[in-house]
This record gives sequence, C-alpha cells and structure tokens, in this order.
Amino acid sequence: MALVKSKSGPAAASMEPVGGDVASLLLSLSSDDARARRNAARELADHPQAAMALCDRLEHERGPSVRAVLFTSLIRLQSPDVAGRLAMHLRSDDAQLRNGAIEALQEMPDAIAPHLSDLLNDDDSDVRIFAVNILGALRFEEAPRLLTEVLRKESHINVCAAAVDALAEVGGMEAIEALEELRARFADDAFIVFAVDTAIRRIRAD
Amino acid sequence: MNALFRPSKENFSMTVEEYAKFIEFFYRKTGIQFQENKRYYVERRIVERMEKTKSESFRDYFNLVRFQMDGQELQLLINAMTVNETYFFREDYQFQALIKGMLPSLVRGRDKRHALKIWSMPCSSGEEPYSIAIHILEFWDQADLWDIEILASDIDSKILAEARQGRYGARSVQRLPAHLLSRYFAPIGDGLYQIRDELRDSIDFTLVNIVDKLQTGRYRDMDVIFCRNLLIYFDDVARREAAEMMYEALRPGGFVCLGHSESMSRMTSLFVPRKFGDTIVYQKPSSAE
Repeated sequence: MALVKSKSGPAAASMEPVGGDVASLLLSLSSDDARARRNAARELADHPQAAMALCDRLEHERGPSVRAVLFTSLIRLQSPDVAGRLAMHLRSDDAQLRNGAIEALQEMPDAIAPHLSDLLNDDDSDVRIFAVNILGALRFEEAPRLLTEVLRKESHINVCAAAVDALAEVGGMEAIEALEELRARFADDAFIVFAVDTAIRRIRAD
Repeated sequence: MNALFRPSKENFSMTVEEYAKFIEFFYRKTGIQFQENKRYYVERRIVERMEKTKSESFRDYFNLVRFQMDGQELQLLINAMTVNETYFFREDYQFQALIKGMLPSLVRGRDKRHALKIWSMPCSSGEEPYSIAIHILEFWDQADLWDIEILASDIDSKILAEARQGRYGARSVQRLPAHLLSRYFAPIGDGLYQIRDELRDSIDFTLVNIVDKLQTGRYRDMDVIFCRNLLIYFDDVARREAAEMMYEALRPGGFVCLGHSESMSRMTSLFVPRKFGDTIVYQKPSSAE
C-alpha cells in the first residue's frame, strides 16, 4: 500500500479513441452518453463544416458539461453565422445557456461585429444590455464608439448604466461629452451620476 | 510632441486611476489580483513591456494590450507579471488541504481496491509531486491503507529529466523541516541534495502537452489534479479547453487545485468551489455524467 506506480501507465487501460470521421462524430453528438457527446463536440472543433451541427445540438443539449464543450468548440469555429446562432440564445430564459452564449460571443469580435447593430437596437432591453456586456469585454476597436452611441441613443436607464460601466474600462476622451450629456439627462438618478463621474475620472486618468 | 520622450524605468510612473484601471483589467483577464503595495512590481514590468513594444505612453500600451486581435501582448505581459519559482512545500496549505480535506472526502465509502490517483501537471523540476508524496507519507494517517499513484507531467522534456533525477539545491529545499530533509534526501556535495530512490521511484513522470487532446485523452480517473500557475499563461479559449480536459480526466467528485491567484470560476462553470482550510479547490460534481 501507500505510494505505488501504475502498472499500465497513465491510464492506458481506460484509454479512449480520439478522433473519428465527421459523420460518426456528428452521430455521437446525439449519443445518450454525455462523455461521448463531449468527445464528439470537442473533436468537431477541428471541422469547420460541423459548425452549424454544433449550433443545432446546442439548441437541444441540456447537459452543462456538454454545453461547455459545445461553446468552446464554437469559439474555435467562430464565424458570423455561428455568432448569429449564439446571439439567439441571448433571449433564452435558461440563464446558463444565455451566460454561456455571452461568454462565447465575447471571444469572437470579428464574428459578432456584423450583428452588434441589430442587437444594440433590439426591442428587448435585456438583449440590449447583454449586447453592451459583450461589447465591454470584446477585443474590438470600435467598442468605445459603439458604447458612446448607446449613451446618446438609448432611453432605457439600465442599458445606459451598462454602457457607462463598460466605458469606464474601455472608453477614451471622446466618450466624455456623451457621458456628461447622459449625466444631465439622468440628473435625478444618483447611481447614474455616480457611475458617470467614476467613468469620467478613470478616462481622464489615461 | 516630444519625439525624444520614451518611458523608461527611471521616469515611468502610473497615476492612481491608471493603476486602478490596469489592475482591474488585469484581474478580469487573468484572475490575478495586485494590490497597491505591488505597484512598484507592476510598474516595472509594464515599463519593460512598453520599452519592448516602443509604446510612447501608458495609454498607447494599454490600448495595445486591450485591443490587439491575437492577444499576444497581453500574453507577454502576463508572462512578465508572473514569476515561476518552485520549491519544496510551496503553497503547502494546499497540500494540507489534500491531507485534511480532499483525501478523507475521496476515500469515504470507497473500495480499497481502487487506487487513489493524483496528477501533478505541470510538475516542472519535480518539487511539487515530491512534496505531495512527502505530505501523504508523513501526514495522512490512512496512507498505508490505500494504493496511491502519483503522476507528474510536464511539456518540457529537459525539466522532466531533472525531475526524474531528483537533485536539488539548498534554495529548493529551504522550506523543508530538517527532519524531513534528512529523511528523504541525501547531501551529495556542492550544496546539492539527492532525493531518496524510494521516493523518486514511486512517481510516474510523463511528457505531456496539455493542449494536445491525443496526449491528455490518456489521463482518466484522476482523483486530484494539481495544476498550479500554468493556466495564467493561456489565452481564454485555451484556458477553457484546459479546464474541460481536467474535467474529463477527473473522476466524479475529484478535485482540481489551481495556483493561489487563479480562479476556475473565471474559466468555466463546470466545477464547484470547495473551501478546505485556507484554500479553495474545485470539485467535479459527484453527480457528473
């Protein structure tokens, strides 16, 4: 007993085949076994033609661990089409699915860029907030300008607050005027005034 | 514009707001937190990167770090910010958590025919897996009741050869109590210590690239994975993949130990945080499929 060496190496006994042709991997996406679904989702990240099938699977998948791998593979396979499919989950009532989509979209600036305008102008204020959350964490040079536009055009206070929060981190001097206008517009709201002042102080420190 | 001005170690200093903004950004990207008392350390490393990238101001450099598409400069900054010093019993509160919390939890109701498997990855020059072994032998009263396999892996074959050799300088062993140093090491001159063969031979050292699915796919049924101060070097998607690899490698109910400045919850929601003593580790749900 106590310290022993494995007789068979790292886990040779339980070694599983990795890889496979695309057709069989696609079949495995619907397996009853979660591990098989995860393996298939992981392997399909190497096959761009499987991107839409992974998006389809995400619509039905309920296993958190399989969803996680699906999101990661879709980040690898990112494209405007993939981002469009993921953006649909911003409307989901399933918080885990919705948050997974937000996190995945934050990793794909070029792919989500063509959809940002629509998302920022969505009828649903929650979707607009999620779009602002995505923008704030996106490696995207246009992000500060788009967030500034939100300040100018948006009427919903919570969307504006999300944009102020994001600009505090990614904003430049060009955002100051819009921030001041917003502060004037919501002068009676103590939180907005505080958030704008904080954002301006941080931006000016740059 | 003063074309001759360049930030340098002598003239560079961040404002309070710049520093606050930077450490918040750095924390969000890496989970690593720097307080005000680390300002000098942080500033020195930033100015070094500013000089390397020929950035004319902190703002220029910060924009590069934030918006560069491939994230390469962020990665280089992370590398500069982290110091990988390894030695025996480093962050030993996690080894104590292993003995007092994780192992007792893992053996509860477990069939003794199933060996406990612990994976140290990356193991660097071996101080971590040997420290784990010593802690188990010295401090776990059930050690003799169980078969315990310790696997130790690294991507660097040279450092792995050093780990297998088990020869260390005084600095590496300075935190070991004297009685453990004499029990597990033999002095071999020139200030070096050779780890005892029995301990050295009890650990499986293997070459592994954590991002290679074919290689990591062989690691299954682990009970504990020590993966400390590695993921901070990865980009976000690679970090997610690494976390998912560990999930796959663990048994349900198994644990991951990350470095003190790392947080699994910033990478994935697959694991459940568990607090043992002074440390937080991450558990694969027992009900995991």
